[in-house]
Amino acid sequence: MRRMIATFLILTFGCVSLSFAQTSGDVFIKNATIMTAARGTLEATDIHIRNGKIFRIAKAIPPGAGAKVIDAAGKYVTPGIIDAHSHSMLSAINEGSLSVTSMTRIRDMLEPDDVAIYRALAGGVTSALLLHGSANPIGGQSTTVKFKWGKPVEEYPIDGAPAGIKFALGENVKRSSFTPQGGQVARYPRTRMGTMETIRDAFRRARDYQQAWADFRAKKTKVPPRVDEELQPLVEILEGKRIVHCHGYRSDEHLNILRLAEEFGFKVGTLQHGLEAYKIAPEIAKHGAGVSIFTDSWSYKLEAYDAIPYNAYILWKNGVNVSINSDSNERMRRLNLDAAKVMKYGGVPEEDALKMITLNPAKQLGIDKRTGSVEQGKDADLVIWNTHPFSSFSRPEITMIEGGVYFDRAADIQKRSLLAKEREDLEKLEVNRAPGSGGTPPRVPTDRIRGDLDDADRIDNR
Amino acid sequence: MKSRLFLFAFAAIGSVLALPGFGQSYAITNARIVTVSGNTIEKGTVVVRNGLIEAVGADAKTPADAQVFDGTGLTVYPGFIDALTNLGIQTAARPATPAGPGGGGQAAAAAAAAAAANPSNSNYPTGLRPEEMTLEDVRAGDNQFEANRNAGFTTALTVGRTGIFNGHSALINLAGDSVSGMTVKNPVALHISFATIPGQYPGSLLGTFSALRQMFNDAKRLQEMQKMYAANPKGMRRPPEDKSLEALIPALNRQIPVVLTANRANEIVRALDLAKEYNLKAIIAGGQEATAFVGRLKAQDTAVLLSLNFPKRTTAAAPDADPETMETLRFRAETPKTAGKLAAAGVKFAFQGGGATAVNDFLANAVKSTENGLSKDAAVRAMTLSAAEIFGVNDRLGSVETGKIANLTVVKGDLFGNQKTVTHVFVDGVLFEPKPPSQPQGGRGLRGGGMGSGGDATAIPGSVAGSYSISIQAPGQPLTGTLTLTQQGTALSGTMTTELGASTITDGRITPSGISFGGTVMFGGQSIAYTVIATVTGNQLSGTINSPQGSIPITGTRNP
Repeated sequence: MRRMIATFLILTFGCVSLSFAQTSGDVFIKNATIMTAARGTLEATDIHIRNGKIFRIAKAIPPGAGAKVIDAAGKYVTPGIIDAHSHSMLSAINEGSLSVTSMTRIRDMLEPDDVAIYRALAGGVTSALLLHGSANPIGGQSTTVKFKWGKPVEEYPIDGAPAGIKFALGENVKRSSFTPQGGQVARYPRTRMGTMETIRDAFRRARDYQQAWADFRAKKTKVPPRVDEELQPLVEILEGKRIVHCHGYRSDEHLNILRLAEEFGFKVGTLQHGLEAYKIAPEIAKHGAGVSIFTDSWSYKLEAYDAIPYNAYILWKNGVNVSINSDSNERMRRLNLDAAKVMKYGGVPEEDALKMITLNPAKQLGIDKRTGSVEQGKDADLVIWNTHPFSSFSRPEITMIEGGVYFDRAADIQKRSLLAKEREDLEKLEVNRAPGSGGTPPRVPTDRIRGDLDDADRIDNR
Repeated sequence: MKSRLFLFAFAAIGSVLALPGFGQSYAITNARIVTVSGNTIEKGTVVVRNGLIEAVGADAKTPADAQVFDGTGLTVYPGFIDALTNLGIQTAARPATPAGPGGGGQAAAAAAAAAAANPSNSNYPTGLRPEEMTLEDVRAGDNQFEANRNAGFTTALTVGRTGIFNGHSALINLAGDSVSGMTVKNPVALHISFATIPGQYPGSLLGTFSALRQMFNDAKRLQEMQKMYAANPKGMRRPPEDKSLEALIPALNRQIPVVLTANRANEIVRALDLAKEYNLKAIIAGGQEATAFVGRLKAQDTAVLLSLNFPKRTTAAAPDADPETMETLRFRAETPKTAGKLAAAGVKFAFQGGGATAVNDFLANAVKSTENGLSKDAAVRAMTLSAAEIFGVNDRLGSVETGKIANLTVVKGDLFGNQKTVTHVFVDGVLFEPKPPSQPQGGRGLRGGGMGSGGDATAIPGSVAGSYSISIQAPGQPLTGTLTLTQQGTALSGTMTTELGASTITDGRITPSGISFGGTVMFGGQSIAYTVIATVTGNQLSGTINSPQGSIPITGTRNP
């Protein structure tokens, strides 16, 4: 326990910037048990990484001279975990003032110095879908990133990842827990039917906007229409160029959004949360949407009342692409154990359970061509575990992205004394000494405030 | 009526007589002259006449009619420039727009007050009106700049600091009877802060960027439509006469620079990204973490108005408090090194006070920069010629050269040492002679500031210690509370308590003209630094409280 606390402290306050990430040069992972998430589990097998890609998977590959060799005998290798619902590393999550905020871009809000990134790596997560919050029927544009801790912000978004956008339904959107303060006007919509009207209206406006540009391009009009930051992303949805990730808990409202999408001729990418999705599994399968769920959290609020632990199993059985997400800086660090739960409740096979945190979310985000499984030619986004990742004793020892090591438990432990020394030196500096005594109580550290993000449906303007 | 008219005429004549030393010339002889633009003259003469530098050189002639100062032991510098302030803004402070989480009745009330205080027929809400001109809010009057001049400042860029668009800045000289006479250049730049508008869109930083993009998009389109309409108005609806969008067109055409307030790394990246997206001629204001982006700053030809408001620890240590993050500790340790690193990398930068800093901190922290890798020459340049270059006035300001505006700062002792006194300041050729300060200049005016002045022979002023009932005229939300002051020599400590909570005062001191202190309060989830400058007469305290939200009156009565 004491060790755990010490670890937590280091992770909290150390802000370890281990900048030994490397992307070129050959790396060999030797004698690992490889859970490929695509082609079964391979015992005592090697992975040869070249230029950040998985070059070869085979037994007893002789490492070339000068290559880096990692002995993984007795250890497990999985693909890097992909979190299909995250609000980590963001300066702001909700633009709550309007019902439609498709003009906002999560890409503008990235904070590559958020220690949650490093902690996620320490839990084996390499990629995430960073989403706008759920305060609006149509929220902001999402960004799909790899957690390249220590790299400049422009290296985080995944090149070629399809564009996405957040939609939301239900309690958060109709502001059920939100009481207007003096001088404030309650924001429309206040009901589920108002929510659908808001979305439908936005798409009608988007169609008009699309037509206005078509007319201009066809030289039917003289003056160029405005470049509309709100409607342009909606046109991209209509044109199949932007994936809709729709937050919701109840099956009726998720069914509504599927019907609305069919009415406007597009496909919903994922139903997010979907704790009642098991009720409409065949309909979801028919539409072709994915579902991204929590394995826990049943009844944590009114609209989650009908959640059951067999949700993932039933969806899987119906051929729906299921992923398990965190929506939380904290849960993100143990998605492997969330995946393990779906083996217990219903009996999803091991590989399919692993896929729910790797290949399945990769497909939902449209990045499965390059990551999400341990296969030749894919990015070397890999986690080396001390034991089976579904064991409650498991922990990542090395997390790599594109062959570069972004978390190394041994190096982290070594670095702690250096950090302690650095802290000691820094605290001795005059600028860091506390002035006088007495005075106001200390401010609550920002890190602690950010802990509120753990609440999946927090809808204030953070 | 007649007598009033007479008085008016008299006043008018009086002000004519006080015009900047018309015909009066001054010569400082035998002085060391740091020209900045050229070599330093170890012993020479500077002649000032009609608001301009008439002559400068080792053997410049002293005119017969000049008032002569023997400059032995003195150094003449170009007048110091503070590259970002809100000096001279005298209208009722615009209501606070805290850049934090929105929502709440307080925010809505603030927005309503903002609309009432700042009527406009713009299509955009307060905070998104780039057409605003700071100069409109500037008022003349020498006294308000006394502390700045006494510290050697002759010129400042001034801009309102509220909203997302802070409006356009003006470069003003810190003396003069009229705003028209004080103004050196207007407008200088369009200013943007990554703030929010509480209670409405954009209420979060996400919306701030979207709102900026949409306005820039629409301004581009407006310009296009205006061109089409000018070419042939027939068969085309007339473009809207939108003053807010029109104000963005010069920025989009790179005819006017855009100052983006960005201090920390993430803000700087966002500012550079936005500037790149719309091809703006960007200047970064703040820039304390700019070191990591020197490559991009140079590639985008972006200057930095570097804040000398160095981060300092303001709360008291409490044993049960969580330790501060390494990030915070490192930031405080690294900030004094930024100037040196920017200089080494060849990034153009000028110094600014950073808003909430006490005026002496400017020089004190410039000195700190020289102790952390910046050459002294580069430090002087950053507060003179570099600022003039960034603002496009280096042909008339920023160096000691014949024909330039006679803004000069004369210093006795080493500018970078502990013993220094500003002896003469010329603003537009008008001479100001600061009174000797009551404590050595340039000492760290922060905690323990009183301790260093133990040997000071100046008489200790009357006691201002005691407990005051105070009233702060914040628009829409008047505050009341208690100010407790403890005095030790010329140093003040104590607490200010209002509805916003208790705040330990920092940097408290008795100045020749009254008292000053600073502190921070929490408002709208944000820590807001303030400074108070006030006078105490008998038991009455009156003055102003300055914060990034503006300047508002504070009054108080000492409790018996």
